[in-house]
Amino acid sequence: MWRKGRMRERILFNLLQVATVVFFAPLVSGVLNRLKEIVQSKRGPSILQPYRDLWKLFHKDEIVSAQSSWLFRFTPYVVFVAPIFVTLLIPVLTDYPLFFAFMGDMLGGGFVLALGGFFATVAAVDTGNPYGPVGASRTRMVGFLAEPVFMIVFFTVSFVAGSTIPYIVQQRWITPVANFFAPSHVLLLLAFLMLILAEGGRIPVDNPSGHFELAMIDESKSLEYSGRGFGLVKWGGAMRLFVLMCIFLNVLLAPWGLAHEQTWTAVLVAVPLILLKILCFILVLVVIESSLAKLRLFRIAEFLGAAFITSVAAMITRLFAF
Amino acid sequence: MSIILIPALPLAAVVLSLLPLGRRFAPAVTLLAALGSLVLTVGNALTISRGREVVAIPGWVQLDGFAALLLLLVTFLSVTAALFSWGYIDAHQREPRRIRYYYAHFNLFTFALALVPVLFQPALVWIAIEFTSVFSVLLVAFDNTHTALEAAWKYIALMFMGAAIALLGFFVLFWAQEQAGGGHYSWDGLRAVAQQMPPVLVIAAFLLILVGLGVKVGFVPLHTWLPDAHSQAPAPVCALLSGIKTTNSLYVILRLVPLLPAGSGWAIQSIGLLAAGVAAFLLLQVKDYKRLFAYSTVEHMGIIFVAAGLGGGVAGQYASLLQIVSHSVTKSFCFFAAGAVLFVSGTREIASVRGLLRRAPAAGTALLLGGLAIGGAPPFAVFLSEFSIFRNGLAQGQYVGIGLLGLFITIAFFGILLHVNRMLFGSALPRVAEQSSERHDHLPRTCQLALLVAAVPVVVLGVYQPVWLHGLISVAATTLAPLSAP
Amino acid sequence: MDTTTATLWLQNLNALVGGVFLLVSFGLVAIRQVQGCVRLFTALSVLLGLSAFLLSQIYATWDLVVMGVVDIGTKAMLIPWLLRRALPEEVYTRREVTQVMNIPTSLLVALGLAIIGYVFSKPLLGVSGGAGPAGVNLPIGFAGLLIGALTASVRREAVPLFLGLLAMENSAFLAGIGIAPEMPLIAEVSIALDVLILVFAVSILTRTVHQHIGTTEVGALVTLTEATKDESPS
Repeated sequence: MWRKGRMRERILFNLLQVATVVFFAPLVSGVLNRLKEIVQSKRGPSILQPYRDLWKLFHKDEIVSAQSSWLFRFTPYVVFVAPIFVTLLIPVLTDYPLFFAFMGDMLGGGFVLALGGFFATVAAVDTGNPYGPVGASRTRMVGFLAEPVFMIVFFTVSFVAGSTIPYIVQQRWITPVANFFAPSHVLLLLAFLMLILAEGGRIPVDNPSGHFELAMIDESKSLEYSGRGFGLVKWGGAMRLFVLMCIFLNVLLAPWGLAHEQTWTAVLVAVPLILLKILCFILVLVVIESSLAKLRLFRIAEFLGAAFITSVAAMITRLFAF
Repeated sequence: MSIILIPALPLAAVVLSLLPLGRRFAPAVTLLAALGSLVLTVGNALTISRGREVVAIPGWVQLDGFAALLLLLVTFLSVTAALFSWGYIDAHQREPRRIRYYYAHFNLFTFALALVPVLFQPALVWIAIEFTSVFSVLLVAFDNTHTALEAAWKYIALMFMGAAIALLGFFVLFWAQEQAGGGHYSWDGLRAVAQQMPPVLVIAAFLLILVGLGVKVGFVPLHTWLPDAHSQAPAPVCALLSGIKTTNSLYVILRLVPLLPAGSGWAIQSIGLLAAGVAAFLLLQVKDYKRLFAYSTVEHMGIIFVAAGLGGGVAGQYASLLQIVSHSVTKSFCFFAAGAVLFVSGTREIASVRGLLRRAPAAGTALLLGGLAIGGAPPFAVFLSEFSIFRNGLAQGQYVGIGLLGLFITIAFFGILLHVNRMLFGSALPRVAEQSSERHDHLPRTCQLALLVAAVPVVVLGVYQPVWLHGLISVAATTLAPLSAP
Repeated sequence: MDTTTATLWLQNLNALVGGVFLLVSFGLVAIRQVQGCVRLFTALSVLLGLSAFLLSQIYATWDLVVMGVVDIGTKAMLIPWLLRRALPEEVYTRREVTQVMNIPTSLLVALGLAIIGYVFSKPLLGVSGGAGPAGVNLPIGFAGLLIGALTASVRREAVPLFLGLLAMENSAFLAGIGIAPEMPLIAEVSIALDVLILVFAVSILTRTVHQHIGTTEVGALVTLTEATKDESPS
């Protein structure tokens, strides 16, 4: 797998991976917004606009409600750091495990990601703003309905690979190439795509660019933040979407283009490659978002039920395969 | 070649009966076609009863003993039903268009019924059985009343569910034959490789076909459509449905029983006893006399299946085949009688009919004969066949099965006669306001003739069996005998 | 590519077709709109035809190609067309508001039935080694059969109920082409045509029901019991 004695390289690659995620997440968010606007025949903001927003936010004053507790001040840091922890565990640039890769498996990564969401939800209730708890309870509903889908996807993936470490899983799907079309694989892709739409707060589950507070699910959790806190929450949200996309692309869908050797050139070449893959995925996401309408709240349960059925069908075809 | 003509005649009659040539044309053409088929069938049956085979396309279209017996029943019942329909439908329907519609469907139905025994390849037999269901749906719904349409819908939904399950069963059976070394997929081909077929596949195929076709036969608990459909259809159609259509599906199941591994007789008996028992108890609480006869059909299907499961080699199967014959002729007669009663009284309810023997002697006598005959009283055919079953069962030592069967038959006899007696005796009820205006005073001539013709085998077979019939049933029993030693 | 990788590709694609077939069967239980059900049934038939084409390559027989063509022609094209012609357009704009059980419960029962289908196929496949397409087609066909029966039981509207029955037959066929590919062609073609006649008959019946009773919610017709007073007899 990896040669011993190159520990310094592996730690540095891991840090490079984190830097990629941290640095490029707002870019991904900007490109997504621009493409959505172009599809709607508008010009749209520049793709570097999120960076400018973050710069502006970090230089603004922060206003904090007097009714809130330490949770409200602490949450932006948790939301920012949680995706970074998960980045250490998943394949982003390389297809061999890096230094911190065995710190936690996929379930651990899922828990850490959920930790950020948990703090955001609790902090939303903390402020006393009426829209906060509305959004928080709706997010929890989406969350608990998505939980079984996550579990079944993870179980099936681990069953196929015989392990729960993402690096080991990805090899099983692509050798030989014909296995890509195995029904468990394709149905898992479908289920996980629906999961990304739900967890990332995209249409058809939630409208990320909506302004109407009574219809918000995810956005209303960040209504009360300002200044540096808001900047961290926004950045953390963008990184969360980036991490989910990385898991989908690198573990399930297309684990090609990742660095195979342990040299600096290979790893640095992998950076634009991962961005390219994410760009292709963003195109698909834009098409989905522009052609569907937002679901009514009680129908989200049916949407996630369909995702559940898809994932269980994937599990059945794999588990009982003869 | 004549085998192909037997179902072809009703098919031709379908086209002819659609021609608008007057009210009498369609029934006459139907009757002629049915008579033609009967004559051809009798010829073939005589050939087979002497031990010779009749083959048109080897492996696809041929007749062996069991098939010939069934075909004989089909054609005989078609003749009597066509005869009965003549007067019955003519009196009930005003428009010639509806009469033509009825006869077109009637001929399609008899075509499909004749197709089942003639075909020798199981997948094609499945198609023929599907045809019998499909072509009878619109006959069940003929009245266009709320209840008839509901019965027809339930009928087709359950029929098709059973058909899909049975289709999978036939595929598994083909697979089992492939595993055993191949050979032609026909009834004979299956018997030839029966010992080598993997038992798990054979049992799986049998179970699937049992459940699938069991819906069509009326085994409990899949029988729920049967009382509705068999009571809402017009009387001659009911006679065909109860008399021969359920028997056709049972024929296919019975063909598969010899393929089962040895020692499964008790399972067959239990299924039959369940049907007979439940039907006997349900008989007691009916309020509609056509439903009474429909439950009696379920009971008799159970009896036939028990007889097939008693074992006893060729002699044992003789008894079950005899029961098939006696049940078909008797049940069709019962439904003709029920149709006659409906004709003169205008209502289907048992409680609304009284004093039938005095008011309408022909219909009343027919009902009395029918009730006694189907219950199993001597000197009718059903008594003789049930007696043979008991004798065979005692010879095989199956005391429990025979004991339960006797109990159920007794309960059913009691139930049938209870209801029939209430209708026949006593003084006629005063005319109630809600009685329908559809009652008539005299049965049409053709209906009376049909009742007479249908009564002949019911009475005759109780005391005398023609030699050729005995020969035919013996040949049929050899094709049904189990292949592995019991 | 050589034969082993070609076979592997074909088998994987066939397995994929089977997996999507299973998914669409679940969809038939749950989709509310009648028009959606018709589309799902068309997809089901197309998948059956695709499986037939793939299996014809694996087993190297022309029978299955013909069967696939006949199947797509009748079930994917003729039957939806017949259904649309027979019933008034208004029936297809409906959605089912209630079922016998609510939708999530029906889906869970369908899941249970799918697992039962797989479990019961296991001993059957053990006989022949279980390798090859039979190991995919038989369990999925059996599961589809049971799920179709469930659809026909829980649905109230006539068209989705009937499509559930047709889906049962499609599933039986899917299992059949996997385990019995040498079934004579005439049998398979006749079965397809027989289904066509059935659809014809049932659409006439449904139209009559619509005309005389005024609704196509046939699952709600449960009036025939022992105590029913009968109407004008015949």
